[in-house]
Amino acid sequence: MEEKVKQLTEETVSAIAACNTTAALNDVRVKILGKSGALTALLRNMKDLPPEQRPEAGKIVNVAREKLESAFSDRQDELLRIESEKRMREERIDITIDEHIPLSGGLHPLTQVRNRIVEFFTSLGFVIADSPEIETDYYNFEALNIPADHPAREMQDTFFVTDTILLRSQTSAGQIRMMEKVKPPLKMLSPGRVFRADEADATHTPVFHQIEGLVVDKGITMCDLKGILDLFAQKFFSKSTRTRFRPSYFPFTEPSVEVDASCHRCGGKGCNVCKGTGWIEIMGAGMVNRNVLANCGIDPDEYTGFAFGCGLDRITSIIHGITDARIPFENDIRFLKQFR
Amino acid sequence: MKLSLQWLSEYVALDGITPAELADKLVNIGFEVEEIVYTGKGIERVVTGKILDIKKHPDADKLRVCMVDVGTEITTIVTGAQNVQTGDFVPVALDGALLPNGKTINAAPLRGVMSYGMLCSGAELGIDNNVIKGAEENGILILPETEIGKDIRELLRLNDWILDVSVTANRPDCQSVYGMAREVAAVLGRKRKPLSLKYKTVPCDCTPTVKISNTACTRYTCRVIKDVKIQQSPQWMRDRLRSVGVRPINNVVDITNYVLFEVGQPLHAFDTSYVSDLGIIVRSAQAGEKITTLDSHTYTLTNEMLVIADKEKALAVAGVMGGEYSGINEQTQSVLLESAGFAKGSVRATSRALGLRSDSSARYEKGVDAMSVDMGRERALALFDQLKAGKVTDAFAEEIRVPTQTKTIKTSAKKICDLLGIEIKQSVIAKILKALDFVVQTDGDSLNVDVPAFREDIDNYTDLAEEVIRYYGYDNLQSTFLPTAKTTAGGEDIRLKNLNLVKACACGVGAYEINTFSFYGKKAADKLNLPSDSELRNQIEILNPLGEEYSLMRTQLVSNMLNVAALNISRKNTCFRLFEVGKTYFPKALPLTELPDERDTLCLAFAGESESFYTIKAAALDILGKFAIKPERIEYTNKPYLHPGIGCDFFNAEDAIVCSLGKLHPAVAKNYGISIPVYICEIYLHTFIQKEIPLVRFEPLPKYQEVDRDLAVVVRMDIPVGAILKSVRAADTLCVRADLFDIYTGEQIDKGYKSVALSLGLSAPDRTLNDKDITTAMQKILSALEEQFDAKLRL
Repeated sequence: MEEKVKQLTEETVSAIAACNTTAALNDVRVKILGKSGALTALLRNMKDLPPEQRPEAGKIVNVAREKLESAFSDRQDELLRIESEKRMREERIDITIDEHIPLSGGLHPLTQVRNRIVEFFTSLGFVIADSPEIETDYYNFEALNIPADHPAREMQDTFFVTDTILLRSQTSAGQIRMMEKVKPPLKMLSPGRVFRADEADATHTPVFHQIEGLVVDKGITMCDLKGILDLFAQKFFSKSTRTRFRPSYFPFTEPSVEVDASCHRCGGKGCNVCKGTGWIEIMGAGMVNRNVLANCGIDPDEYTGFAFGCGLDRITSIIHGITDARIPFENDIRFLKQFR
Repeated sequence: MKLSLQWLSEYVALDGITPAELADKLVNIGFEVEEIVYTGKGIERVVTGKILDIKKHPDADKLRVCMVDVGTEITTIVTGAQNVQTGDFVPVALDGALLPNGKTINAAPLRGVMSYGMLCSGAELGIDNNVIKGAEENGILILPETEIGKDIRELLRLNDWILDVSVTANRPDCQSVYGMAREVAAVLGRKRKPLSLKYKTVPCDCTPTVKISNTACTRYTCRVIKDVKIQQSPQWMRDRLRSVGVRPINNVVDITNYVLFEVGQPLHAFDTSYVSDLGIIVRSAQAGEKITTLDSHTYTLTNEMLVIADKEKALAVAGVMGGEYSGINEQTQSVLLESAGFAKGSVRATSRALGLRSDSSARYEKGVDAMSVDMGRERALALFDQLKAGKVTDAFAEEIRVPTQTKTIKTSAKKICDLLGIEIKQSVIAKILKALDFVVQTDGDSLNVDVPAFREDIDNYTDLAEEVIRYYGYDNLQSTFLPTAKTTAGGEDIRLKNLNLVKACACGVGAYEINTFSFYGKKAADKLNLPSDSELRNQIEILNPLGEEYSLMRTQLVSNMLNVAALNISRKNTCFRLFEVGKTYFPKALPLTELPDERDTLCLAFAGESESFYTIKAAALDILGKFAIKPERIEYTNKPYLHPGIGCDFFNAEDAIVCSLGKLHPAVAKNYGISIPVYICEIYLHTFIQKEIPLVRFEPLPKYQEVDRDLAVVVRMDIPVGAILKSVRAADTLCVRADLFDIYTGEQIDKGYKSVALSLGLSAPDRTLNDKDITTAMQKILSALEEQFDAKLRL
């Protein structure tokens, strides 16, 4: 009996090892452990043994059965794993293929840069305001200290719709509207579209975008202007960016300056981006002209303020290295996708 | 403005300072220098030489072999020119020389004879007869006897530096050599030499008179010069005029131009024999009055223009150009020299209206100050005397219509410093202002500042602050961070926030943002098939557009979008989703009497194989859904640029169209040269962009399992699926979901009918549905469909 069990066990173990599929394994299992299986038959034959030998024999068979059950189970797991691996090998796909379905699109680079600037000034408590693109002569010129025969009107050839209605040539128009409504303390930023009668070329387009900022409160100084613009340049370009002021002229500020930032490309050493000067002109700025404050009903003896304005298109071109002002208005999808 | 350093150095010593250093200093005080140009630029290694011998070329009839002494050596040069002779002095371009046309000269054999350079013509040196006589001859430039081996730039006086200075509009007083000399002297801390204004006068038996009848002329002065001899002006004067780009004419004209550039005062010389009674009248032109000016054009004037006239006729368009008739000519013996002030606006308007510009009008448009009228005239008279161009007489007349006002500003160092934000000593402030010709008196803390008459830009202490800081140096400003300002709440308003969300949603549906101009041409409306009475044709027209194609303010974004689509398709970018958010402009009346409505609009364009009406519709509903906008009604579109059967309009609760979308109309596609299917969507953002998006109220999730059932019905072909789904949802409250999953036509379905297969979800908020609930609900749904659409259950 013991011999038989031992032999059967050995035979079965090697049969299990020889099985390559779960189906074959199952066949072996049925042949050995099934209702009419070989080991089951041995157990059944125990009734032919003398009663005193039966417990011993039963134990031998049960041990063998447990051993074989475990062998079957292990082999089963192994075969399942092998089969699963095989199946997955067969399911393997070409991972280098790309599917062209529209997922997320992207904002125009002008919008992206606008949003960055807006975000910075919003964090400092600036109100963001828009105003009409088709404006009156008063808001675009008169209130900004640019009277009818002022040479500044020569500087910016404006599109007119009637004698007194025009396409705004500067977003400063919106600042007047705001100052009429809201009294200091005032911090505002007016990003928007402006128009000038310039033929489109590598550096001009008749439609472009400005971002102008304005702060009016008690005791505002030119050093505050410098402080805000320094911080802006550092956040916008890099931590090491410096600014410098050069005297200039705008009718709505006095004193007026051009603001240069140290070149972000070469750090101020001079390169082709900054044309060797180490500086890049980024905006115009100054202390709000007393007449402008007075025009808006703000007492220039009580309040002072500063204003600054930059060309969004220019800044965008500078930071992204766009070489022609017309390209962003062409909207070639290959251009747009570069800024996703 | 072109500033000759040689000319400038007549008034300020410039020794020890390079042109580049001077340019830097000018930039720091507010004068941008666009360019620094050496007048001899482009000429290198060209020297004077003497021809010692000329032989015929052994192998070429037209060439000659010259032995030329160039100072350092005697060299062989082959030339084709026939006008040189032994003993001539000529310009010689040596081996390695550079000429202004960019050509380099190298030693090379010419038909077998080595030539070590080139003899130059005037044209090859880029010069004309004003530089040296003979420069315009055809052939080699023959020089007067001169030192041999001398740099030709020196001989031709091409050794000046010209700074192209951009003068800001508030500083017309710096539009001249003498004006810039003030600033340069101040910034260098050097003395400014005065203008030479000395001349002798002779008596005159004539008496000029001046009468001003229009305040656009602020003052008018004139002087008679007799025994005028018209001739060429001296070399130095011609050189200076040439250096600033003015062509020398004759001594009288050159003097007026010279003074214009040196002092900034436009002058005009009349031939006295054409000024009736020497009686100058400054008046408005009569409407229709004609004048032929020095450029030989005849102009018809309006009564808004100012003329200089005698009692008979107009002699000149004031400040713009003189009349041909009264101008000086070779026979002129006596000159009436005008020096006057005209309002800049008047000169600009006249110059614009006539389309006539001159150096004089350009100067007047910038503003001529009261002081330069006298200074310019006196300087010109001194030059007449110096050049012996004529005898200055004591015959003088003037009328001052607008007297010069002297301005005094009472302020303090503290006020100036408070604006700047830094401490500057009172004495430093006074010193800076004094150097700029301000008269400064200090009294304790207060400053009394008399403004010089030529500084019309200075009105108050902030202007003085600018003068101080531009000389003190902006680099001295410290960065501070609004220590005195109050805290403010910032951020974008609701409209801007919503617009940002629109853009984010459009990106979310896979579209890329584009930016186009706000205007288009008159053809845009026609290309979109718009009917003649379309509201979209009420467009605001620009009076001075850059061209017809940029002349109308847009009433829709589709035209520009289609241009962009067409451009992309033509570049083989045939698969894209694009969007633009922009304003469209709707006039309340035309021509505009008040500002128009500016309506925010979104336009989408989809193109590509996988796109269809349904993909763009899904995108539109997704975006509208973000703003909690559910279209109340959908109709086939009435937009003439969309396919009438593959396009729809969505209506809101107020029955206004919030969105139109569909396939581009084939005729419109053809107009734009678009040959692939393009789908367009417009969302009229102005209908909701100002509104807050309503806050979401949480709805409890269903507690009980939803039961799925499918239902297929056969209906007439023209029954819209949308109507069937709406009816299904309305039939029983247990129906919480109804979706289309298939439409079938063909075998087993009668012609003109379709089978619509729906997937339904049934559930109740308070219990699990039993079989009876489900059967009843399905029965109700089927009955509704039978009743409303004559639908038959498909078994």
